[in-house]
Amino acid sequence: MVLLAAAIGTWWFAGYAGQDRLGEIAIAAIFAMSLDLMVGYGGMVSLGHALFFGLGAYALAGLTLFLKWPPGLALPASVLLTGLVAFAIGRLIVHLGGVFFIMVTLAFGQMGWAWFARDRLFGGIAGLSGIPQIDLSLLGGDLANPADFAIVAVTAATMVYLALARLIESPFGAVVSALHRNAGRARALGCPVQSYKLAVFTIAAMLASLAGTLQAQRTGFVSPDLLVWTSSGELLIMVIIGGIGSLLGPIAGAALWTLLHHYLSAVTPYWMLIMGAFFIAIVLFAAEGLYGALARLAWRRPHV
Amino acid sequence: MKLLAAVAVAVAFTLPIGARSAEPIRVGLVLPYSAGPFVPLANELGDSLVMALEESGMEVAGRKIEILKEDTTHKPDVAQAKAKKLVFEDKVDLLVGPIGSNELAALFAFAAGSRIPLIIPNAGDNEATGEKCSPWVIRTSFSNDQIVREMGPWLIKQGIKTAALIAFDYTTGHQAMDGFKKPFIAAGGTIVGEQYPPFGPISDFGPYLTKIKEQKPDAVFTFFAGPPATALVKQFSEFGLKESIKLTAAGWLISPLNLPGEGDAAAGVIGILNYVPAIDNPVNKAFQQKFQAKYNRTASEFAAQGYDTGKLIYAALKANGGKTSDKAAFVKALHEVSVEGTRGPLKIDPKTNNIIQDIYIYEAKKVGDKVDFAVLNRIRNVQDAPNGCKL
Amino acid sequence: MLPDPASLVIQLLNGLQYGMLLFLLSVGLSVVLGLMNFINLAHGTLYMLGAFLGLSLVGVTGSFWIALACAPLLAAAIGALFYGVLLRHLQGESAMKQVLVTFGLIFIGIDTVRMIWGDYEEAIAAPALLADSIRIWGQPYPAYRLFVIALGLVVALLLWLGLERTRLGAVVRAGVDDRVMAASLGINIDAAFFGVFCLGCWLAGLAGVAVAPVLQIYPGMDVAILIPTLIVVVVGGPGSLRGALLGSLLIGMAETFGAVLLPDFASFMIYAVMVLVLLLRPGGLLPARQTA
Repeated sequence: MVLLAAAIGTWWFAGYAGQDRLGEIAIAAIFAMSLDLMVGYGGMVSLGHALFFGLGAYALAGLTLFLKWPPGLALPASVLLTGLVAFAIGRLIVHLGGVFFIMVTLAFGQMGWAWFARDRLFGGIAGLSGIPQIDLSLLGGDLANPADFAIVAVTAATMVYLALARLIESPFGAVVSALHRNAGRARALGCPVQSYKLAVFTIAAMLASLAGTLQAQRTGFVSPDLLVWTSSGELLIMVIIGGIGSLLGPIAGAALWTLLHHYLSAVTPYWMLIMGAFFIAIVLFAAEGLYGALARLAWRRPHV
Repeated sequence: MKLLAAVAVAVAFTLPIGARSAEPIRVGLVLPYSAGPFVPLANELGDSLVMALEESGMEVAGRKIEILKEDTTHKPDVAQAKAKKLVFEDKVDLLVGPIGSNELAALFAFAAGSRIPLIIPNAGDNEATGEKCSPWVIRTSFSNDQIVREMGPWLIKQGIKTAALIAFDYTTGHQAMDGFKKPFIAAGGTIVGEQYPPFGPISDFGPYLTKIKEQKPDAVFTFFAGPPATALVKQFSEFGLKESIKLTAAGWLISPLNLPGEGDAAAGVIGILNYVPAIDNPVNKAFQQKFQAKYNRTASEFAAQGYDTGKLIYAALKANGGKTSDKAAFVKALHEVSVEGTRGPLKIDPKTNNIIQDIYIYEAKKVGDKVDFAVLNRIRNVQDAPNGCKL
Repeated sequence: MLPDPASLVIQLLNGLQYGMLLFLLSVGLSVVLGLMNFINLAHGTLYMLGAFLGLSLVGVTGSFWIALACAPLLAAAIGALFYGVLLRHLQGESAMKQVLVTFGLIFIGIDTVRMIWGDYEEAIAAPALLADSIRIWGQPYPAYRLFVIALGLVVALLLWLGLERTRLGAVVRAGVDDRVMAASLGINIDAAFFGVFCLGCWLAGLAGVAVAPVLQIYPGMDVAILIPTLIVVVVGGPGSLRGALLGSLLIGMAETFGAVLLPDFASFMIYAVMVLVLLLRPGGLLPARQTA
């Protein structure tokens, strides 16, 4: 609730850059929540999540620029397409554990990057620009205007949050949590562990690709940097800073990291040092992340 | 007392109006200042651009020129966000960027969409001034094709008949090799092999160089920049190819940034580029002197591009009477001015928005115990064909 | 389309040399991962620090060999500092936290290097003794690459002797197999692990100087080698010396011959190998522990 109020307040008072930032944070929030679903609830740590983010964006670019689909249709299609790819990849790898899963997701992410960096149709390393935005003129809005885009993005983020909250409270979510805590016992009880993990993997990928399509709408371009492993790494940092295993945590983490990145880099060329130190401090002293720390301060048990 | 207050208020009201007529011209630099492989390039280019503007007094038609710098941290979405901030919050009149092609789509999308002049001071992707050109995006550096296409015919004249190609497997590498291939073959040459190592972090060219030896070309043509370029030059020598094969390349292979690491291995390498420190004209000589006095390094081609970009911007601003409210008029002025830069005469082609410049072929030569440059050939006024650009 | 025998020999040598390069880069990571179950993501940072410190040492003393001897010690000292100040507090905490701290160190490391040594690319030249090329089967081959091969083999041998034949090695292996048991037998596991970590850092620093004449020195070299080394470790089987050696050689050969025989797939070669190995043998080729 507080976050929503903060978002609305920012939207009201902030200038152009503030609203642009809000849209960016909303997209990052969706992306971060999707990773948290996989890591915090599903127990699968991925360093290749940016692959799905990028696939969503590139699919949107391909459908709208090459096949001339209207962006309103291309967006959900991109999410579905990415879901299919994720399902295929997931089937191969969800049974892997720990370090190996991390490495394989890293590999797939980098393979995706390498593919798009060489592919001339998609612009290679320079990427593609000129991606058309969904026409909201019937609703009186214009996505090119950051204020309008921020509304759309924040709404999307809120809907994702509510949907995920529902999912986690549902029987499906209960099973997933159980799996995370003790896969052996769950398997002993007859649970098809791998199927659930695959489902979580696919859903998380689709949400990431949703974030990717929104990003393509916001910026009007796609480039291989969307898929690079350091993007996945930074996403993991956002989730951890915010607090794994909650939903509000990643949102807070996304907001904090994005804002820090923008404002620190304007102040010093050595912002990475400060952010690294900050991250280490969080890991050492506030292991539950921002969310955990705030919740403890508020004397409530952290819940979704 | 009341009269005094009234007068003070009246004066206060008129003063801002007076100040408004001398509103500064704002130039926004959107470069990767703090992360990624282009940090030294960004600094050299940016500083040289400012140097050029300072030489002209940092003002045009009574308006001061203000430089605003934003750091892209080598990320395209950050680049776009900073560009938006510069334009909508800081009210810059024009943008300068990017260095690397990875940020090109991001800035291009924004500038073309918001109709704000974007001046590309480095990134050479062919299509930015080709098929995908925009009336708002002007390039003062080069297109990949423009740099390489004259090398083939020149090599044929030197008696080179066969060539092997090698470049990283990504768009820039392919654009550079394709740009060399066609004119070389048209002039009578034969390509005996092409290899595209993956664009990866570890530059070990052993297997590729060994294969080139089997192919026995007269010359190798290549494109690499940064640490991989140093690796290739050194390994070319270490694996013994230098004895029988001429190493030729797009000039970044033997950039002043790489020469110290390459040492003697660079001697004999032939480069083609829009700039080499040895260019003998008064503008370049003065520029190199000033740069070296300030930074204790030879100015690289990136610094030179920055300097020339500054001069072009200044010339256009002056030709337009220092007016910047009409962005289209500023772009038109850019099309009409010509400038004597470090590279020779420079002009922007209205048909592609790419620069028309001289291209130099030169050799790295051992002089005493240092490696220095000697210009071998100069091709004047190299201009790109429209290549699908409709301006 | 068979290459002539001289070329084949050279390509084999290339594959071997690239493999040994990868081995030198990754053995430190593998040792620490296998013996302490700890992914030290700052491994690349220590490699980079080793290289830059080596650069300064060469600048001051003019000797490559002094740099090769001392820079790894400095890297180990820095590693010891990290361990003492940061990582020790995380003993007993989740493995994830320890890994994350090293992730944060990457960010700190790169800016520290930039602040001290600047942003430009630098170079360490091969020492005069090894600067020339040797003729192998009539073909010139850089002597320094042969040194890299030799160094890799020496390091592998010394590590094997140290782990299999000495008391310290036995202690460490006991700690790996069963930490609680070993501790209850009065073995000072903490000291042993500290030693292993410093060894890993020493190896990273050694790689930094040894590999510099081949791969150049620049801020960002830490992240550049992180992925290839992680892949080597995972393919070979984390923590086993033989695994690291086998993984490096396999990937070295695959990349070398892949480049020549299957050029269109070269970009994906290293990842394809890894995915294939993981699908067929999820623990890596020669894992240290024989658990499922």
